[in-house]
Amino acid sequence: MNISMNELKAALRRCFEASGYYVGNYEDAANMILWLEKHGLNGLKELEHALPFITADQDKPLSEVVYEDSTSAIIDSKNRSALNCIAASVDLAHAKALESGIATVTVHNCHNRMFILKALTDCGRRGISVAAYWRNGSQSVTEHTVAIKAGERYPSYSKAETSLPSTPEDKQALTIICSSRVDLATSLQNSKGNQYVLHISEEEIQRNKEFTIDNGIEIDDLLWQKINEIGANILVENSDRSRLGAG
Amino acid sequence: MTTLTTIQNSLRGEHALPLRPAEQVMKLERLGALHQSRLSFMRSIVRRMMRERWQISFRRFDLDDQGYGTAIYEIKAAHGLFNFVIFSNYLSDEARNDRVVATQWDLTMALVDGEVDDLYLEKLRQNVPKQEAGRVDSRVFVLSRANRSARNFNYVVDQLAQGEQPDVQKIAEVGYLYRTTAVYGSGKLGMADWEKVQTRYPDFARPFAAEMFVCLMLRNFSLTQAEHIARHRTPDTFQPMRDDIKRYFGIGNSTGLGMAPYLVNHPHLINQWVEMRELALARVRVLGQIDSRIRERFDQLLQRCRRHTEQTVTEDSWQSDNNQQVLDDIQALCHQTEAGINSWNKLIEWSENHCSLQGQELLVSVILELYPELVDDLEDYQAAEEFMDLDPLMPLEQLKVQIETCYGWALDIDFSAPGAKDIFWYRSEEKMEPRLGESAADQGQEKQMALGVGYAVRRCYDQLCEYIEQNPNHTTARFMVACPKRRGIVRRIQSMCRCLYGDIQANLLDRDILPMHLLRAKLAFFGVSKFDPKSKLWVRNTMFQGAPLLEDIGKPFNDDWFMPLAPEQDSGSDNLSANR
Repeated sequence: MNISMNELKAALRRCFEASGYYVGNYEDAANMILWLEKHGLNGLKELEHALPFITADQDKPLSEVVYEDSTSAIIDSKNRSALNCIAASVDLAHAKALESGIATVTVHNCHNRMFILKALTDCGRRGISVAAYWRNGSQSVTEHTVAIKAGERYPSYSKAETSLPSTPEDKQALTIICSSRVDLATSLQNSKGNQYVLHISEEEIQRNKEFTIDNGIEIDDLLWQKINEIGANILVENSDRSRLGAG
Repeated sequence: MTTLTTIQNSLRGEHALPLRPAEQVMKLERLGALHQSRLSFMRSIVRRMMRERWQISFRRFDLDDQGYGTAIYEIKAAHGLFNFVIFSNYLSDEARNDRVVATQWDLTMALVDGEVDDLYLEKLRQNVPKQEAGRVDSRVFVLSRANRSARNFNYVVDQLAQGEQPDVQKIAEVGYLYRTTAVYGSGKLGMADWEKVQTRYPDFARPFAAEMFVCLMLRNFSLTQAEHIARHRTPDTFQPMRDDIKRYFGIGNSTGLGMAPYLVNHPHLINQWVEMRELALARVRVLGQIDSRIRERFDQLLQRCRRHTEQTVTEDSWQSDNNQQVLDDIQALCHQTEAGINSWNKLIEWSENHCSLQGQELLVSVILELYPELVDDLEDYQAAEEFMDLDPLMPLEQLKVQIETCYGWALDIDFSAPGAKDIFWYRSEEKMEPRLGESAADQGQEKQMALGVGYAVRRCYDQLCEYIEQNPNHTTARFMVACPKRRGIVRRIQSMCRCLYGDIQANLLDRDILPMHLLRAKLAFFGVSKFDPKSKLWVRNTMFQGAPLLEDIGKPFNDDWFMPLAPEQDSGSDNLSANR
């Protein structure tokens, strides 16, 4: 079915609020998914992967800064979804870049890392250049990179299938480089073994956005139903008494 | 010429104009005392329509003798062509319900981009009458529905059918033929998102412009439909309604709690509306010359406000007292200005010491009315980008000072006092309608909406103070990694501290909270009048009373329908300036 961006955002906010996300985090999570979908980068498909696990995060420990100096940090996200922790990691990189010119933050044990694109784009809009790199997959490994220049509204994104072996450390890791002095741009190398290298330019991402603004968002009926079902848990049962509080 | 830069310079820096401070303006009680003004959205859309001479006519008028059927207006605006589609269906008196939970209405309608062909009309017919239970697509901007004021509608039809005009006194009591019970836009039910409306359709690119336009069209349709039914009932005796009486008909509106969460969830937008109103006032205070013409007009407007308030009918004792207070304030203002007005500043300062909040804000609206050249161009700056950006580098000591400075009002609230957290706001499973609950008596507090901004600030501040003791040199970004629960409120604090006016200053969890203030604040920005509260949770009001008719487009227009007055019963005047 076809829905508007506003409908998707509102339904996702309810969904994440009902899943135990905090105020601020549930807006972030909804915006991250919407941003990907709006810009043609399959946010809803990513959500389908994340959806079975989203309630589990409320029982996990909070992310922890395990190492820090003036230009770098290492964060252990304790197997959380990027939906509820990556924005804070990008903020830390942002702050360090403002202080030192350039900074690197490495995040470990973080799932659904594709969702970083929204947080990263916000940095670009606010005058900070950011690049990120991560690998994904246990059987066949894909690698991903994304970058945005300072002052820009749209990032570029590249993805490739590789012949790299899967290592436990790589699987849920992500490297963020952030600079207030240098404009960062990334693309994947034509390394031996890389296949199906996909590069989506800033212009293409902008075109995708314009299309979505004009036409709304196509969503699978079952996924839409699922999002709304989860979100319904924040609604309070109707009663004669509750009608007294209605406007 | 007004530009974003000139506005910024007027708000901040060495060229800044003397604006009223946030601690005065953003108090909920004052926001709840606002009145319509030149910058209200209804005034803006009418100005645009009249100045650009939009061409509006029926493309289709398939109503039977009883007024049931389909009508389509074609709107040729300055930049685009739109259709306004109305479905009129029979509804029994028993089935008529203004509550949001209703499922049937007398009229349902949609504002659509471009021309509606038969195929698309059928699609609309399958969905628009169902409202929330239907789906539309992104060609539709606004979806709405309305119920007849049964008594008024039948009375007016009877009068016209008998060749008589409606009794103006009766219209003063209920100034509309229909009440709209919801006006949906901004992507609801599959409609075009605000981003699309704002970027693709300049005719409706201001906040709520399309929604207000739909209400105006509904008002005009209601008059046409009443005449149509009367004409078919007794063609021999039928007389059309006099234009000046027609103009005195507005459209009724019932507004409930839904607006309250909107105000809290869109603080940038509310800040922007307040900024423009306050900037307009500051411009007048500094630049508004007072001469004999202005003086005469001021007296006229005060008298008009007096008569308008006298003609406002409400059964609500709280509102009646407020209206009486406004009348007393007007009398005091008249007395105070009898000997002349030397300075708006002095008069405003005097009102702050001698008038109620409603009286003070009425004076502001009247003063704005006098200087269209200083006020009207600000209507192009009512939209806001709603980014809640975290400032990750901000040292925590600075964040603490920022809270103490911008949110001192929240820190001043004693949340441990009895009643301070007695109320919670939640969404009912019934159409997700916002409702108020009492902590001690109602179920669902664990599912409450995050509308207690003041309390959230307090908790954040307390945790921040503890954290700073351990980590005095940390940045906000580092605090956010350690305390992600506070992310939402910290981001809000930092974002709103970048604004001049910021958050509404009230504890929305207090047992004595009056949601009516929130409703009235937003409705005043829309431009409604005749507030008639039906409880502390919902209010009836009148939109577009006194506004020009569609037939007036292209005729001389002086934009003078502020605080409209009942026409003389026997005057027969069709003059647009009957308010004088």
